[in-house]
Amino acid sequence: MGDLFSNLGLGFSVAFSVQNILSAFIGCLVGTLIGVLPGVGPIATIAMLLPITFSLDPTGALIMLAGIYYGAQYGGSTTAILVNIPGEATSVVTALDGHQMARQGRAGIALGVAAIGSFFAGTVATLVIAALGKPLTGLALLFGPTEYFALMVMGLVFAVVLARGSILKAIAMILLGVLLSTVGLDLETGEERMTFGLAFLSDGIDFAVLAMGVFGIAEIMRNLDHTEHRDVVRQAIGRLLPNKDDFKQAYKPAIRGTLIGAVLGILPGNGAVLGPFASYTLEKKLAKDPRRFGRGAIEGVAGPESANNAGAQTSFIPLLTLGIPPNAVMALMVGAMTIHGIIPGPQVMTKNPDLFWGMIASMWIGNLMLLVINLPLVGLWVRLLKVPYRLLFPAILMFCCIGIYSINSLPTDVMFIALFGFVGYMLIKFGFEPAPMLLGFVLGKLMEENLRRALILSRGSLETFIERPVSAGLLAVAAILLIIALLPSIRKGRDEVFTE
Amino acid sequence: MSIPHENQGAASRRGAVRAPQSLAGGLFLIALAALALWLTKDLDQGRLNAMGPAMLPRWLAVGVALSGLALIVLAFIKDGDLLERWSIRGPFFIIVAILSFALTIRGYASGSVAIPGLGLMFAGPLAIVIGGFATPDARFRELLILALALTPGCMIMFGDSALLNLPIPMFPQALAGVFPAGWSQNAILRTIAAIMAIAALLVFFTTRGSRRTTVDVADHSGRI
Repeated sequence: MGDLFSNLGLGFSVAFSVQNILSAFIGCLVGTLIGVLPGVGPIATIAMLLPITFSLDPTGALIMLAGIYYGAQYGGSTTAILVNIPGEATSVVTALDGHQMARQGRAGIALGVAAIGSFFAGTVATLVIAALGKPLTGLALLFGPTEYFALMVMGLVFAVVLARGSILKAIAMILLGVLLSTVGLDLETGEERMTFGLAFLSDGIDFAVLAMGVFGIAEIMRNLDHTEHRDVVRQAIGRLLPNKDDFKQAYKPAIRGTLIGAVLGILPGNGAVLGPFASYTLEKKLAKDPRRFGRGAIEGVAGPESANNAGAQTSFIPLLTLGIPPNAVMALMVGAMTIHGIIPGPQVMTKNPDLFWGMIASMWIGNLMLLVINLPLVGLWVRLLKVPYRLLFPAILMFCCIGIYSINSLPTDVMFIALFGFVGYMLIKFGFEPAPMLLGFVLGKLMEENLRRALILSRGSLETFIERPVSAGLLAVAAILLIIALLPSIRKGRDEVFTE
Repeated sequence: MSIPHENQGAASRRGAVRAPQSLAGGLFLIALAALALWLTKDLDQGRLNAMGPAMLPRWLAVGVALSGLALIVLAFIKDGDLLERWSIRGPFFIIVAILSFALTIRGYASGSVAIPGLGLMFAGPLAIVIGGFATPDARFRELLILALALTPGCMIMFGDSALLNLPIPMFPQALAGVFPAGWSQNAILRTIAAIMAIAALLVFFTTRGSRRTTVDVADHSGRI
């Protein structure tokens, strides 16, 4: 325990420098600013804003990125409440009751409860990360290539099970993602694979380019197909701070949501996405009068929003301790870290304790910033939400171009976001969900490396994956999960969870 | 990567196909897998204890193809979604906008074709104005004002040495000759940005009377 506090103390001493507080502030502000725009999810936001972190030192850059991420998340919730357009899967639930509250003239309360619940969840999650960081890092040191490979397979199976829509399509997307990751020079022989002889492809496909294409550009193309119907609340926003009654109704759901979200967020394969759904279902079950849900129940905002934020934060745990990104946002974080010369994994904590604990402490500061920024700026967000899409998307388009060009100064990168944007658009039209593909892509390189090493160590015997107990355990969990998900009765329930 | 299948999927909507979207998706996956298999055909697969470069890509491509096959089979067995409506206009203008940004930002030369490097000053507005026409609601005047207002902001934010100072070409080098010799790059950048911003204001005010309805950037249906 003493260790925990001395570490956190170190973290806060780093995070409280003027420059880092400023980084956190700017990150949260611009993250919210972009995240509020309808049709721009956290992934596109981070990819677009990546270049503004380039001029900072690694610690400041990561602090700003984390701020951008929380800002984007909170911006998404704001849009969900005010316009009923959930920017991403996790704010779908918030839109249900949040938007109803807004229509009853209680938008302010909904936003306030969301902010306060998120802040509480963020505080708890920060402590969870600080406490779990060390033991998990120790665990990571016991892992060999065999175990790592098994862990990543399990992560991808989680991603398949948690993806929306058809399981078969999710599997196809994961395989496609891993396949895309094999483009470029072969690690061992140095032979070119699937590069069409193009020099800029020999380093492989750049993650930011793929993410920007599939999430930024493809989203624009898709949004253009739907005639826009934006339902910005016409009622007054009302007061922001919840009164005693609101507070009484909201605090228990917030605590329960935080716990659910924090636990699910640690799971590999984007467990965080389940948090809000689980919390909403639980609150509905516990409520004395479940019929209020869907008609502006404050519990339906407090619980899922807390779960959302707690999960968003604890999903940093697998990344920081094991070096394995559990979802597409964290994958983008890996990309950002690599640009700044940091390879995520257990060694970060020992080699760069300043960076590690500074970032954890700044997570809490970032959550505080959100509270400080968002409550007074709600009026501004509302104005922003009224900018019509026909003016919004050309601006987003230009930002994407500038952002991607600034990463490597390569015009070919810019062209490739058009290509991947179009491919992503086709995938969406064919009913595929692009998120699992991105996760497969990020884990792909690590998987191939570890698979090769494991097979060299075992002299080519695949049995090594079931002979070693840890790897066998992880693979067994993956197999059981997949079988359960394919059982007809569970599948029905899964569909209900996602359509509710 | 072309899309040879979408028409096929759409045309057979009323036949034996019960889930056209799955059919089209399956064919698309098989096409991608075939491309990967063709691209890796000359590479060595190796053995399990010494994997060659082609081992993983090849087996993954087989996996993708099998998923595609399963989707196609399912499309004849289970009812599923129809193909969504496609538009050509949106993707077309977006792609053209991105390509024109990529080609003009720092120039492009290949054989007899040479595009001069125009920098963000021209590449940005090109992307906004061309991209803007992806929607049928596009209005040139609005897009022009947006482009002239947003681009100088980005030029200052990304290029000014006091701010992010990223190595993005900002203006054509030929333009630098117009300014007095003693001027620094930064002073030129700021001057150009200021001129563009003033131009945006000029366009905004001088053409305001002519078409009043298009000026409203925000719709005033809602109150704060």
